[in-house]
Amino acid sequence: MITQATIFAGTNTDEPDVLRSLTQNIDRFGRERIDAKAIDREHRIPRELLREAAVLGLFGLSIPEEHGGAGFSLSGVCTAIAALARWDRSLATTVGLHLGLGTRPLVAFGSAALRERYLPDLAAGSKIAAFATTEPAAGSDLSAIRTTATATATATEMATETATATATNELAEANALIVRGDKIYVTNGGLASVVTITASTPSLGGARRGHSLLLLEREDKGVDVGPEESKLGLRGSSTVPLYFDDVRVPMSRVIGEPGKGMSHLEHVLAWGRTAMAAGCTGAARTALMSAVEYVTARVQFGKRLAELDVVKAQVAKMAALCFSMEALVSAVGLVADDPDRLLRRSISAKVFASESDWTVVDMALQLHGGSGFIEETPMPMLLRDARITRIFEGANDVLLVHAGTIEIAQPDTRPDFVEDASPRGALAQQANAFHRRVREKLEALKAAHGLRLLRRHLDIHALGRLVVLRDACDAAVARAIAEGSDSAHSLAQFFLDGAQVEAKMHLEPCPPLEGVRTIAGSVYAEVVG
Amino acid sequence: MEANQSHNLDEKILRVIAELSLVRLADIKPTDRLREDLGMDSVASMELLSALAEEFDLEVEMEEAMAITTVDGVMEMAKKRLLAA
Ligand SMILES: Cc1cc2nc3c(=O)[nH]c(=O)nc-3n(C[C@H](O)[C@H](O)[C@H](O)COP(=O)(O)OP(=O)(O)OC[C@H]3O[C@@H](n4cnc5c(N)ncnc54)[C@H](O)[C@@H]3O)c2cc1C
Repeated sequence: MITQATIFAGTNTDEPDVLRSLTQNIDRFGRERIDAKAIDREHRIPRELLREAAVLGLFGLSIPEEHGGAGFSLSGVCTAIAALARWDRSLATTVGLHLGLGTRPLVAFGSAALRERYLPDLAAGSKIAAFATTEPAAGSDLSAIRTTATATATATEMATETATATATNELAEANALIVRGDKIYVTNGGLASVVTITASTPSLGGARRGHSLLLLEREDKGVDVGPEESKLGLRGSSTVPLYFDDVRVPMSRVIGEPGKGMSHLEHVLAWGRTAMAAGCTGAARTALMSAVEYVTARVQFGKRLAELDVVKAQVAKMAALCFSMEALVSAVGLVADDPDRLLRRSISAKVFASESDWTVVDMALQLHGGSGFIEETPMPMLLRDARITRIFEGANDVLLVHAGTIEIAQPDTRPDFVEDASPRGALAQQANAFHRRVREKLEALKAAHGLRLLRRHLDIHALGRLVVLRDACDAAVARAIAEGSDSAHSLAQFFLDGAQVEAKMHLEPCPPLEGVRTIAGSVYAEVVG
Repeated sequence: MEANQSHNLDEKILRVIAELSLVRLADIKPTDRLREDLGMDSVASMELLSALAEEFDLEVEMEEAMAITTVDGVMEMAKKRLLAA
């Protein structure tokens, strides 16, 4: 039996040894206890397995030690989620959501009283957390949120005070917000005892029309949990709508500053999408290993498939993508304390990891031949599970436009890699040259369109693609330099070569985007009318 | 520019600011800082200026736009451009 004490050793949670032992223990748990096929078939994770994951300490990894957790950084959390996703994506999503979107608001912004009250149970896994922002009319556009939390008169006065002075708990409990609205697609919603929601709270003041993060309990009067959705993938994870019918929530359960929900959300979403990207790296590794196993064993034309050049090249591409996505997710962890860089890098990691996951799984399925289409192999489930990652935690196209816009507003500045005479220096040179090309493209766009560039979403989207590719190349090169091995060098080089080809499409789009805009406009007129 | 024309323009500009900053029109003051008071990060404030450039058909350099940090600054920029046109 694996116990919480053995899931990680030592006190500095980011030590490589600690992370290695964490991964090994999750691997053992996965091998011995997780039956991904059964979870997928039965559309649920057995309660007993969730309890074992809790005993293992998985639900407390990101929660500070003072509240009973392990106090892992974002990097440590990503390592754990990646390891778990190798075994089962539904469980990795359940745990990942709890560690990221579910508990991060409390950990990062919660008052001391809220943290003391909720975090110990959440760390122990006796309570599971969810996070509900999406609504029927507010998906990609969170400014359209209609759930309201209306303050009573005294609560409104208190909100102004809390910014300057700490109100007493008693006063806070006596004053309440009345929450009304519907949330949809809430991961963990059917399991959770607590859920952080985003609600419009105009009466509490604050910028951006005053949204706030609030903590609701499943047991609060007026909270109703809808039926489980029937999904294409992640079938074992819980996804439900939540209904709030005049739920009375004490003011003390506002997480962070009243009215500052949207700024808090930015940090929370960055954590969430990074943890999700980590899951993509684990699942892609599983797909790669499965494909390697198949092509090594399978004999056709008198040879093992693995000996065919076309197959070798495909395996190399998959391996290079896995290498680079892992590198980029790790690179997010390095900037976790710098809000601007965390935002930018987490977007790149989410987009790149979800798309690479899909590509790797699809290629792995192809290499399995017909058997890849049969549910007995892991491939169909891996493919189904991978599909949502390009949509949730921010649809990729929305994030690409965001990445491009951020780049326009604040071009990324990073010191050049050192270009010495070693083979690693050659990689550095290519990464630096790529940076320069992206910068030149940005300058050319600015010069051509001035401020109107911000209205040209096709250009911004293409720029976003370049940003994501650039960040992935940087991460791959940095990893190759840090590891120093020939194989790391080859993987980074292989990835860079492919990325350059892809980048060319966005640096010099063909047909030019002006043409695309015209054609798209007339197609739209014809189809939509 | 006539006084009432200028007033109408202020009103129009404030309306765009309210829409993009998600702050109620009545709560916006000329001295508000885009980032600190209206909660607009650099991306949101650039989008605001771009929306104004579109609405009033203004040619604005990116660098000039990036230097603007207050509601007053936005209004001045727009008026200067419209007068020059
Ligand atoms: C299984 C699952 C679990 C989820 N878990 C949670 C959760 O725990 N908590 C939560 O709050 N939400 C959750 N979601 C919701 C998820 O985050 C949203 O579905 C996602 O953000 C997209 O919103 P939408 O579905 O409303 O798509 P829409 O906003 O309707 O967009 C549809 C598509 O239009 C395109 N599009 C939209 N806007 C733009 C744009 N500006 N530029 C270019 N293209 C655009 C994109 O291709 C996008 O995919 C979950 C969803 C699913 C399916």
